[in-house]
Amino acid sequence: MANITKKVSWSSRADDSNATGEGTPLLNGFEQLGYPRQQSGESISQVGRVNTVDMDEEITSDEDSLRGQPKEITHNEKLLSLKYESLDYDNSENQLFLEEERRMSYMGFRCLEISRWVVCGLIGFLTGLIACFIDILVEQLAGLKYRAVKENIVKCTAEGSLSISLILWAVLNSSFVMVGAIIVAFFEPIAGGSGIPQIKCYLNGVKIPRVVRLKTLMVKVAGVICSVAGGLAVGKEGPMIHSGAVVAAGVSQGRSTSLKRDFKIFEYFRRDTEKRDFVSAGAAAGVSAAFGAPVGGVLFSLEEAASYWNQMLTWRIFFASMISTFTLNLFLSVYHNNPGEMSNPGLINFGSFDSKSLEYKLYEIPLFIGMGAIGGLLGALFNTLNYWLTIFRIRYIHRPCLQVMEAMLVAAVTATVSFIMIYFSNDCQPLGPDQAEDYPLQLFCADGEYNSMATTFFNTPERSVRSLFHNPPGSYNPLTLGMFTLTYFFLACWTYGLAVSAGVFIPSLLIGAAWGRLIGILLPSISSSSSIWADPGKYALIGAAAQLGGIVRMTLSLTVIMIEATGNVTYGLPIMLVLMTAKIVGDYFEEGLYDIHIKLQSVPFVHSEAPATSHWLTAREVMSSPVTSFNRIEKVGTIVDLLSNTSTNHNGFPVVVNNAAGDEPAKLCGLILRSQLIVLLKHKVFVELARSKLTWRKLQLKDFRDAYPRFPPIQSIHVSQDERECMMDLTEFMNPTPYTVPQETSLPRVYKLFRALGLRHLVVVDDSNRVVGLVTRKDLARYHLGKHGLEELQLAQT
Amino acid sequence: MPFCKTSEFLVFTVVSLCLSANVDSEIVKVSDEEDTSRQRRGLSPALSAEQPVFMPAGDSLLSHSLFAAFPEDLEISESCRNLSRAFHDRYLAYVDCLVPSARPVKVCLNCFEGYARLSEIYTNISNDQVGPDNCRDSLLRSDRLMLIYLLYGNLQSIWKNSACEQCVIPDLQILKNDTLYFMNELNQSLSCFEKYKQVGCEARLVEGNHSDLCVTCKSQYESLNVLYGRMEKNHSLCIDIEDAMNVTRRLWSTNFHCIAAREGMIPVIAVSCFMLFLPIIFYLSSYLHSEQKKLKLIHPNRAKSNNSLMHIQDKFS
Repeated sequence: MANITKKVSWSSRADDSNATGEGTPLLNGFEQLGYPRQQSGESISQVGRVNTVDMDEEITSDEDSLRGQPKEITHNEKLLSLKYESLDYDNSENQLFLEEERRMSYMGFRCLEISRWVVCGLIGFLTGLIACFIDILVEQLAGLKYRAVKENIVKCTAEGSLSISLILWAVLNSSFVMVGAIIVAFFEPIAGGSGIPQIKCYLNGVKIPRVVRLKTLMVKVAGVICSVAGGLAVGKEGPMIHSGAVVAAGVSQGRSTSLKRDFKIFEYFRRDTEKRDFVSAGAAAGVSAAFGAPVGGVLFSLEEAASYWNQMLTWRIFFASMISTFTLNLFLSVYHNNPGEMSNPGLINFGSFDSKSLEYKLYEIPLFIGMGAIGGLLGALFNTLNYWLTIFRIRYIHRPCLQVMEAMLVAAVTATVSFIMIYFSNDCQPLGPDQAEDYPLQLFCADGEYNSMATTFFNTPERSVRSLFHNPPGSYNPLTLGMFTLTYFFLACWTYGLAVSAGVFIPSLLIGAAWGRLIGILLPSISSSSSIWADPGKYALIGAAAQLGGIVRMTLSLTVIMIEATGNVTYGLPIMLVLMTAKIVGDYFEEGLYDIHIKLQSVPFVHSEAPATSHWLTAREVMSSPVTSFNRIEKVGTIVDLLSNTSTNHNGFPVVVNNAAGDEPAKLCGLILRSQLIVLLKHKVFVELARSKLTWRKLQLKDFRDAYPRFPPIQSIHVSQDERECMMDLTEFMNPTPYTVPQETSLPRVYKLFRALGLRHLVVVDDSNRVVGLVTRKDLARYHLGKHGLEELQLAQT
Repeated sequence: MPFCKTSEFLVFTVVSLCLSANVDSEIVKVSDEEDTSRQRRGLSPALSAEQPVFMPAGDSLLSHSLFAAFPEDLEISESCRNLSRAFHDRYLAYVDCLVPSARPVKVCLNCFEGYARLSEIYTNISNDQVGPDNCRDSLLRSDRLMLIYLLYGNLQSIWKNSACEQCVIPDLQILKNDTLYFMNELNQSLSCFEKYKQVGCEARLVEGNHSDLCVTCKSQYESLNVLYGRMEKNHSLCIDIEDAMNVTRRLWSTNFHCIAAREGMIPVIAVSCFMLFLPIIFYLSSYLHSEQKKLKLIHPNRAKSNNSLMHIQDKFS
C-alpha cells in the first residue's frame, strides 16, 4: 500500500489539476460544479454532496493549509471508512505452508475433510438450538406481556379507565425495549439491526470489527428477544442469520478468544479462508432455522457470497442447513409436547395453505405482476424514508443514551398507535375455531365477538402474518386492513435502524400481507362475478412476497424461502414473477435496504461486477502509489517504525530485492502481511539471534495460527534498542508469488481478479517487475456508477 | 354462509354451526330423496320408503318392480331382514327428532337417546359376522353404494360434529350434571330477561348498560358466562350449550345493548397525544442540541499520473 505522499508531490498534483481543471470536460460526462480537483482523483464532487456542511468550495486556493488541517465533513453515503479491512481469503503459500503440507499425511487430509463435516454439523446443531431458545423465550415473554395487558384491558373496559391500560402497555413495551437497546448501544453496537448487511459484507470479504464475536452473539440473542417481546415492529429472522454466522465463526476455530479457552481442536481452520467458508455455512443454517428453509438458506449464502464457491462447500453448507432445521424441529417438538413430530417449519410458521385455496388461474398472473409492481413501489418508498432517517440518526443521534431513548420512544409510540387503532376500530368479528387468536380482545364488541384490529396489532408480528394468510374470508373489513397497512408501514420504517437487534423480514411480510389481503377482499367487489376470486389469503401471500422483495431485493433465495416456508411449490411461478417485478420496479427508484445500510456504513463493498463504464480506467489510475515495501532482509528498526506509523495503517507490504541502481523501485519478490510481521517481531525472528542461539526453535505455521484472529497491535510489542539494529529475513514467511497485474490492466479486469479470487492486495508492476503500486479493496470500491456517470467515493476516518 | 358469520363465540362454534347447517340440509336431502323415490317408486326399489330399505324378493314382486326376483339363496336371510327393518325404524325416529331440533339447536339434548338406539342396532349389524352369508357382509358391504353404512356414517358425523359426547355420558345415556346445571342457570337468566324485557324499547336503547335489565340480570348473566368459560376449559361443551350461549349473548349485547360504552375517551386521547408528541420533541431537541459527528477525510496517495489523466480526457473530449 501507499506511503504518505511527500508534500512536494501533493502540491504539484494540485497545481496540475488547477491547470487542467477549469473548463475541461470531466470524466465520463461528469457535470462540473465549480470543483476543479475532481480529476486528481481523490475527491470528485457529486450533486448529492451539496448538503455537506463543511464543504469548502474554494479549496484549490490554498492547498497547503488544507493539508495542515484535515478536512472534516458530515457523514454521508459517499464515503469509505478506513476502519474496515479485508479478509485474507487468498492463501499465503510461503515456505512454512509448503513444509506443513509436505509433513501432512494422506490420513491427515482425510481427517481434515471429516472435521469440516463435523464442524458443519455442529454449526447446524448450535444454530438450531439458538433459534429454539429465541423462539421459546419470545413466546413466553410476549405471552406474559399480552396476558397482563389483556387482563388490564378487560378490567378497565368495564370501569371506563382504558387510559391506564394504554400506559401499562406503553411502559411494558418501553421497558423491554430499554433492556434490549441498552445492551446493544452500550455493549455491542455492531449487534444492532438485522445483521444481514454485516454478514453480507463479511461474506463479501470485508472484516467488520467484532462482527463474529461471542459477545456480539450474546447481545444479539438477548437483544432480539427483548425487541420482539417489547412489541416493536420487528422480526427475529434476520438476527438468526447473524447468530448462525457467529456460531460458525466460533465453532470452527475450536476455541474462544473472549473466554480464553482453547480446546486444541480444529487448529487448521484458524485462518480467514476456512473461517469465511464456515461463516457462509452458518448464515445458511441461520436462514434455514429462521424460515424452515434449508434450500433457501443454501441459496442465500450463494446469492450473498457467490464469488468463491465450490461444490463440496455447497454440499457442506446444505448439510449444516439441514441439521439446523432438524435440530429446531426436534427441540420445538419437545417443547410443544409432541416429541418426534418433525414437521414443524422453522421459527416463522406461515402455516400450510390447503390445496383448495391455492389454485390460481392464468388470468390471475397479470394481477400478481401488478401486485409485484406495487410491492416494488412501496419498497422503494420504505427504503427512501429509511435512508433519510438513517442519515439523520448517524448525524444527530450517535450517543448511546440518545439511542436508547429513541428506541424506548419508538416502543411507546408503537404501543400507543396500536392502542388507538384498536380503541377506535368498530370492526367486530365472531370468534371462530380456525382462527387461533391467542389474545382476543373484546373491548366494545358484543359478547362472543372480538376486535378485528386487535388480531393484527395485539399479537407478535409472526402470529399476525399467519392470521392474515389463513383467517377465513370475512375476518377483516377493508378499512381495518387499510389503516393497519398505513400505520404499520411507517412504524416498521421508523423502527428499522434503531439501536436494537431486530430484523425487517417479518414487518415487510406483515405490511405486504395486509395490503395483499386488502386487494383480495376488494377484487370481488370490483368484478361482477364474485366467485372467480378465491381466498384472500392467497393474495396476502403474494402481497407479502411483493413487499419483502421490494424492500430487500433478494431474488433467488427469497423465492425459495417463500416456497419452502409456505410448503408448496404450486406458487413457485407467481412468487418468482412477483419478486422479479418488485425488484425491477424498486431498483428503478432506490437500492435495496441492505445495500443502503452497507453504503451508509461506508463499507468498501466489492459488487459482483465493476461499474459499467469503467473500462477506460487502468490499474495505474486505480492503484495507490508510491508503495511502502520492505527488502528481503530488512532492518528491524525500519519495520517497527513503519508499522507504528499511525498514518500508514497498511496491511500488506511488497517484499523487494534491491538491484544495483538503488533509486528505482526494486523488483518484486513477494508480499508479506502486517499480521505476519507482528508475529515475527513477537517471536524475535532476527538473523543475529538465530545465529547466536543454538537451540533455535524454528517458527511454524502454528505460531501464526495461535495469534489469529486478534493479532496484537504493534505498540504492545517491545523491541529494544539493540534489537532495532538486527536484521530480519522475510524470505521464509512472505508469500513468494503474489498476484500482479501490469499497469495497463483495466479496472473491470482488476475487479474480476479481486472478486473471483478474494484478493486483498494486488501488486501493480511495470514491465521489468518493479513495484509501481498496490491495489486494495478500498481502491476498487470507491468507484460506483451514480446518476451522473462514474463517481468516486472519499476515504474517511470514522 | 351468512348464518355462520353472524353466529358467535369461541372455538368450534362456527364450525359446529356450519356443520349443523350442513347437517340440516343433509337431512332435508335425505328426506327429499325419499320423497322423490316415493314418486318414482318402482324405478329404484332399493330406495323405496314404504318398504324396508333392502327389499326382499317376495315383496318386490308385489310392487311394480323392473327387477325379477333373485333366487332365494342369493337374498338376505330373515334375521338380516329383521335387523334392517329395525335399523329403518330407529333411523326414522332419530331423523324425526333431529329436524325439529335444528333451530335453536337441541340435537344433543333432545335426541341423544335416539342416537344411542340407532348405534346399538348398527353395532348389532356390524358385529354379526359369523358364517359365509352374515348380515354384516350382506347388508353393509355387498355392493358399491353401501347405503346403510353411508346413512349411518352421515348421522354419526352429525353426532360427532355437534360434540354431543361432551354433554352426555355415553354409556349411561343420560345427560351430564354439568349440562343440567348449565341449563338451569341459563333458564334463570332467560327468565330474568323475560321479566324486565317489558320496559319500553326506546328507553333501553338510550340507557345502554344502565337499564334495569342490564343492572338486575348482570349477576346472573355473568355467573352464566363464568360457568360457560369453565365448561369450555374442561371440554364439556356440546353444540346445544354453545348455541344457547350464543343466543343469550346476542340477546344481551345486541338486543338489550348491555355492552361497555366507550367511556373515558378523553384521558385516552390525552395520553396518546402526549405519547405521540414525545418523539417530535426528542427529534427536535437532538437536532438542535446534538453536535454533528464530523469525519476526517483522508487523502489517499495516488500515482502522479498527469499524462494518463490528460489521456483520459482526450478519450472523452
